[in-house]
Amino acid sequence: MASILSVALTIIVQAAMISALYALIAIGFTLIFGVGGVLNLAHGATITMGAFSAYYAGQFGLGIPGAVLASVTIPALFAGLLYLGMVKRLEEEPIMVMITTLVVSVVIEQAIVVFEGTTSRSLPRLIEGQFHIAGSTFQNLLGVMFVVSWIIIGLLFLFVNYTKTGKGILAVSMSHKGASLVGIKSSRINLITWIIAGAFAGIAGLFLGSWLTADFAMGQAQLVLSFSIVVVGGIGSIRGSVIGAYLIGFLEIATTNLISSSLQGLAPLVVLVVVLLVKPEGLFGREFAE
Amino acid sequence: MSSDAEGSTGAAVGSRTGGDTILSIDDVHVSYGKVQALNGVDLDIGTGELISVIGPNGAGKSTLANSISGFLPYDGSITYKGEEIDESDPEDLVERGLIQCTEKRDLFGFMSVEDNLDLGTYVRGDYDERLEFVYDLFPTLEERKDQHAHTMSGGEQQMLAIGRALMSDPELLVLDEPTLGLAPVILDDISEGIDRIQEEGVTILLCEQNVTFAMNHADRINLLENGEVVRQGPPSELRDDDYIRESYLGG
Repeated sequence: MASILSVALTIIVQAAMISALYALIAIGFTLIFGVGGVLNLAHGATITMGAFSAYYAGQFGLGIPGAVLASVTIPALFAGLLYLGMVKRLEEEPIMVMITTLVVSVVIEQAIVVFEGTTSRSLPRLIEGQFHIAGSTFQNLLGVMFVVSWIIIGLLFLFVNYTKTGKGILAVSMSHKGASLVGIKSSRINLITWIIAGAFAGIAGLFLGSWLTADFAMGQAQLVLSFSIVVVGGIGSIRGSVIGAYLIGFLEIATTNLISSSLQGLAPLVVLVVVLLVKPEGLFGREFAE
Repeated sequence: MSSDAEGSTGAAVGSRTGGDTILSIDDVHVSYGKVQALNGVDLDIGTGELISVIGPNGAGKSTLANSISGFLPYDGSITYKGEEIDESDPEDLVERGLIQCTEKRDLFGFMSVEDNLDLGTYVRGDYDERLEFVYDLFPTLEERKDQHAHTMSGGEQQMLAIGRALMSDPELLVLDEPTLGLAPVILDDISEGIDRIQEEGVTILLCEQNVTFAMNHADRINLLENGEVVRQGPPSELRDDDYIRESYLGG
């Protein structure tokens, strides 16, 4: 009896922590789609880039602060440049954006293979130690991941709803022409969303790499995950992404703990298929950040 | 600049009632592929005037409105406050006080009335001062300030669209079909609103299918047909024009 409770508790706590990271990953993806109407298939590779930025910072002896800084700024800068250099010119053609970003993501992964090979790399450990809840043990790192992810999501929420630029983001997501009519330049807003999404992906990469390891293909599963979460939650909705992330996160952890760890990755797809059959517009339709 | 001296057809027919020229449209052509939407339009608007462009569906009224607001490329020249605006983005023109209220309204549907109005001051306009004016103009908007725009009736949405444009403190307000599909009761509110906006000193270009409505408000009327201005003049003159009477005022 005690062991059932403890298994349940382990699943709930672990899922709550990992889902926060999933939410962080998915929000960046949905932000770009909700505002600019394009899918960034390099989102997973941006996560990989965040992890390796932290890895190189560690190699250069920059310590944890250097790793954190590198994992945020380099992917953010990269995403901004990707938008300005390529996506901005192709905005009217979403399919071309998908192809271009997919190619970019392959280039990033291959570059890592060239420099680092295909073996996994260990990142500087952000925090050591463990904590206990009712007899179950969890890594401190996951706790930090949970707290930081939620702080970032909270800050984004405040930014979007209570600042002028944030309201501009909402405006563009609802009507490009309406935004133009009040003087908001969509391209500037899009650039901001790409930079935010890049920074979020970078932080996610840092946490993922620090928790597990970093390798060239680590972002692929995250891209699939983002896609599933965003479709489940309703494309373009921040709240939907958070709920979608938790739904999928809990299912995934429950499946791997209770059935088999080889089934990891199945949960997002099962949820995806069910939602597409029952409520194809997603749980929260298409309204953005209600 | 040259139109005052040389006189386009318009300047020759209707004497200008406003002050300095705020907008000058000179030989503007617009085509969508092979379809010619505007075919050499000339039009001057003086500061403080209310000029109306009337004409049937497909005459080119919205095309003209969108060319002026920077949404459509065109051949020819449009001058706003003495500067050519051919290369200007719509957003730059908003900053300079040229505001359009579109036929489709283009509101932020999932935002409250007040947030929509707030965004009207994104690049220009003092929020408190403008909000007071807009709420005074359309009290319905204040009553519904927390309601989402997409849940409102067509007439209320039209008031919100005009209200949002007014938040930007326009110098030239381009109103594209503000009466389209509205009930007569709402029409009165909009009509009263337009009068008061003009009293504020805002220059207005009113693109309108409802000829009677346009005649009641405009200082000068331009009849647009197939992309060309075929009649110009003050309403008093055009009411007696046989062609306009037969085709647009029901004989």
